[in-house]
Amino acid sequence: MEIKFIIIITVALFFIALVQLMKIYDLAAKVRGEKSQEKLSRSENLLMANLMLVFMVAFFGFIIWLISKYGSNSGLYQAASAHGKDIDDLLMINWYIILPVFFITNALLFGFSWKYYYREERKALYYPHNNKLEAVWTIVPAIALAFIVIYGLMTWNKIMYNQEKGEVVEVYAYQFGWIVRYSGVDNILGKADYKMVSSSNPLGIITSKTIQDTYVEIDQRVNDIDSILSNNINADGEYLFPEKKVDKLQEEFDRLKRRKYRIEASIDRKDNNSVAYESSNDDIVVQEIHLVKDQPYTFKFRSKDVIHCPWFPHFRAQINAVPGMETSFALTPTITTKEMRANPDVQKHWENINVIHNERKRKIGEPEERVLFDYVLMCNKICGAGHSNMQLKVIVETQEEFNQWIENNGDKKRLTFSGQEVNWSKTKSQASL
Amino acid sequence: MSHDTHHHHKESFITKYIFSQDHKMIARQYLITAIFMGAIGIALSALFRLKLGWPDDKFPILESILGSDAAPDGLLDSNWYLGLVTLHGTIMVFFVLTGGLSGTFSNLLIPLQVGARDMASGLLNMISYWLFFLSSVLMAASLFIETGPAMAGWTVYPPLSVLAEFQPGSGLGMTLWLLSMTVFIASSLLGGINYIVTILNLRTKGMSMTRLPLTIWAFFITAILGVLSFPVLLSAAVLLLMDRSFGTSFYMSDIVTSSGALDATGGSPILYEHLFWFLGHPEVYIILLPALGMTSEIISTCSRKPIFGYRAMIGSMLAIGFLSFIVWGHHMFLTGMNPFLGGVFTFTTLLIAIPSAVKAFNFITTIWKGNVMMTPAMMFCIGAVSTFISGGVTGIILADSALDISQHDTYFVVGHFHIVMGMTAILGMFAGIYHYFPKLFSKMMNIRMGMAHFWITIVCGYGVFLPMHFLGEGGLPRRYYENTNFPMFDHFLDLNILISIFASVGVLAQVIFFFNFFYSVFRGPKASQNPWNANSLEWTTPVEHVHGNWIGEIPTVYRWPYDYSKPGKEKDFVPQNIPLDDNEEEH
Repeated sequence: MEIKFIIIITVALFFIALVQLMKIYDLAAKVRGEKSQEKLSRSENLLMANLMLVFMVAFFGFIIWLISKYGSNSGLYQAASAHGKDIDDLLMINWYIILPVFFITNALLFGFSWKYYYREERKALYYPHNNKLEAVWTIVPAIALAFIVIYGLMTWNKIMYNQEKGEVVEVYAYQFGWIVRYSGVDNILGKADYKMVSSSNPLGIITSKTIQDTYVEIDQRVNDIDSILSNNINADGEYLFPEKKVDKLQEEFDRLKRRKYRIEASIDRKDNNSVAYESSNDDIVVQEIHLVKDQPYTFKFRSKDVIHCPWFPHFRAQINAVPGMETSFALTPTITTKEMRANPDVQKHWENINVIHNERKRKIGEPEERVLFDYVLMCNKICGAGHSNMQLKVIVETQEEFNQWIENNGDKKRLTFSGQEVNWSKTKSQASL
Repeated sequence: MSHDTHHHHKESFITKYIFSQDHKMIARQYLITAIFMGAIGIALSALFRLKLGWPDDKFPILESILGSDAAPDGLLDSNWYLGLVTLHGTIMVFFVLTGGLSGTFSNLLIPLQVGARDMASGLLNMISYWLFFLSSVLMAASLFIETGPAMAGWTVYPPLSVLAEFQPGSGLGMTLWLLSMTVFIASSLLGGINYIVTILNLRTKGMSMTRLPLTIWAFFITAILGVLSFPVLLSAAVLLLMDRSFGTSFYMSDIVTSSGALDATGGSPILYEHLFWFLGHPEVYIILLPALGMTSEIISTCSRKPIFGYRAMIGSMLAIGFLSFIVWGHHMFLTGMNPFLGGVFTFTTLLIAIPSAVKAFNFITTIWKGNVMMTPAMMFCIGAVSTFISGGVTGIILADSALDISQHDTYFVVGHFHIVMGMTAILGMFAGIYHYFPKLFSKMMNIRMGMAHFWITIVCGYGVFLPMHFLGEGGLPRRYYENTNFPMFDHFLDLNILISIFASVGVLAQVIFFFNFFYSVFRGPKASQNPWNANSLEWTTPVEHVHGNWIGEIPTVYRWPYDYSKPGKEKDFVPQNIPLDDNEEEH
């Protein structure tokens, strides 16, 4: 309340000050004579022209400072994926073309503004056009852009078309997190459908068991709603709670019935031994992404609710996850997490980050910690309140380390839908024969 | 009734100042509405920059301004952060730089520069303004509702913008957003049709299309872009409204909420993106072209030198206008669309760089060997050309689909479009205000305050947006409520503070403009008829506004508007209504 009062007073004082300022200006203008406002004096013109030059120097200096401080190491280091190197090379070439153009044209602009400031005795050059000159600066940019387009499209096509079929990993996005599913020995993800999604089956994977579970779950909720509605009705047939709530429950009731019908009609094949169900038997659901160095991967993305955008900054990889549509992106990690951490540049950078990180921790009174470099997956499309904290650790490691992780995390994080233990690393090596 | 008799009759306060059909008054109304919307828009950005610069500090001022729902204990709520970002974008893009910029200067300058008594339809023009006003009120009102304004980003992609369950702003706030935008589009279409008809039909004698000032060409192409693309946004908005309120599923499919799977099936959010960006990209040029058009005019006038390559300037604007319709896909490289399409959009997008480069070089050549008068308007134009170049070159990177994979939706994008589109258009708009103030209000603005305003604005503008490119190179996604969840971004803490300081100073500096503007409206020295010694027709009208613009006959035009420093002439300017001498070549 007090603050509000202070703000109101401040605003009021501000306007009073404005009015007073106006009055002072009025008087000053009268004393000076109004003419002085209309024309720029020669000295003012010169001053502004000189300031243009000063600004240019400061502007260029600022950019060079930024480049030297952040440009050489923006925090992403060398690309950690096979295609990422192509992107980085393309980016560097673009910079080499763009930066000279940027500096030269800006220098000409500010330089000319400075050099040709207004002097009454001078007359400007009447120079309405010059077709040759105009042709030059149409054709030269066209050639430069032709190069950029061709080189860019070659890289784009290489990344998007020449994708080796890798090991399939699914990343399922939801507000606000990710679930990861490895496709297992057969390298095929078991079929999934959004109508099957429930608390016990977060990915909506279709197996004969999950279909039965879903029926049970739906029936239970339908019965619940039914009993809530019938128990809260008085003798006159009026509900004991607000109409809005009744509507909502009835809507859910109808929706559940429709959902069950749709599952029966389109998903349930009534054939428990169908091949369609089998590929999910060896799928493994985890909460962390582990990748094997130099192994090609094909990531498949689905979304539960809104558009998300999985973004692996270190691998230079991202693509939207869109509800109702599967997207994919292939990448091959080339540097393990350990190798990255051992890189002297990375070490130096993370020492600095640790200093800053813990300075902040001290300031906000949280315990200090040692943070280490890690690959990370984050969300890069606005998706709601938790958008800025949709993170998942990504670990790149050797095949042995990967096998060990799969074995050791079997109990805690491993969840196969067949309900049976699968010796994944072993069967995998068999399958690759 | 002919206009000659019309301007004698006395008008009441209401018909003169409120429901006016006079284009000059409507231009003033647009400008003042836009200034107030602009004040809200940039104030919002200053508020959310506080959170980004100082993520752990509490700012009681936030609670007092936004209320305790939005900023309990002075700590901005994450939903409200997105709400502020969304409304900042919407207001700046549509209300300030589309409605405000085109509305003000198309209305003011089209009749005056083509030599017409008024717009083709004064009534439509009046309705256009009042719809704009209504939509502004609706949009601003959405800041005052409990669940907050729309929060899905200014692009309001479904499904996020469809269900209040996904974020509170997608409830009433989003409804208001859609209503406001629908009214806004109607306003924009009425205005656009009027501008096109006026330019085509009401040019004075001798004013051929190739004697039009470049401002008019810019407004003309802008109006065509608007008339062709805004209806598509309207259809996108109507379908979104249907999805939200009537259970259709144009944009919805396979969605699971906390109460289980929804019925919606068969729709696609990507459809919305296509419709939105079919407007969204031309919109960039709807914003830019008027600013560049005024920049052409002002640079030529204040350099006392004809604009270099008049026909090339028209050609490049036409090329930009045409190309702007076939590049929208570059906003969607990563939606999972066919990579071949991505390649096509990369190609068309990079083509735009050619006419843009022509424009930039022509601006620079116009200044070369000129006689540059450093009026505030001219300085803002030099700034606008600089930002057009600086932001344009980074566009080459973003246009490249392969590079977009690592730059998409990072702060690199934020830095890029704020410089090339935001700053260029805002600086161009300021230039227009300083330059045409004598025509708008028959008064002069204070030059010294204008100079201070320019320097602080350009320094802070670059200070805010240049570092953002480096945040983007570090992989920092845009629209993050806080960057502290990822230790890898900790080394940007300093840079974010620097940006926030520049932003705060830049926003506060606009008070200088605010003061200068309103002071000059009421107390500024009276303007002379042609204070900048310019050639175009608006400077032949009397200083005080008269209905019908000219007392007596409308002047006839004999030459193009850029005869500055023409050899053999005594003065360094020859207005358009001066007949050619014997043996004088036109240009």
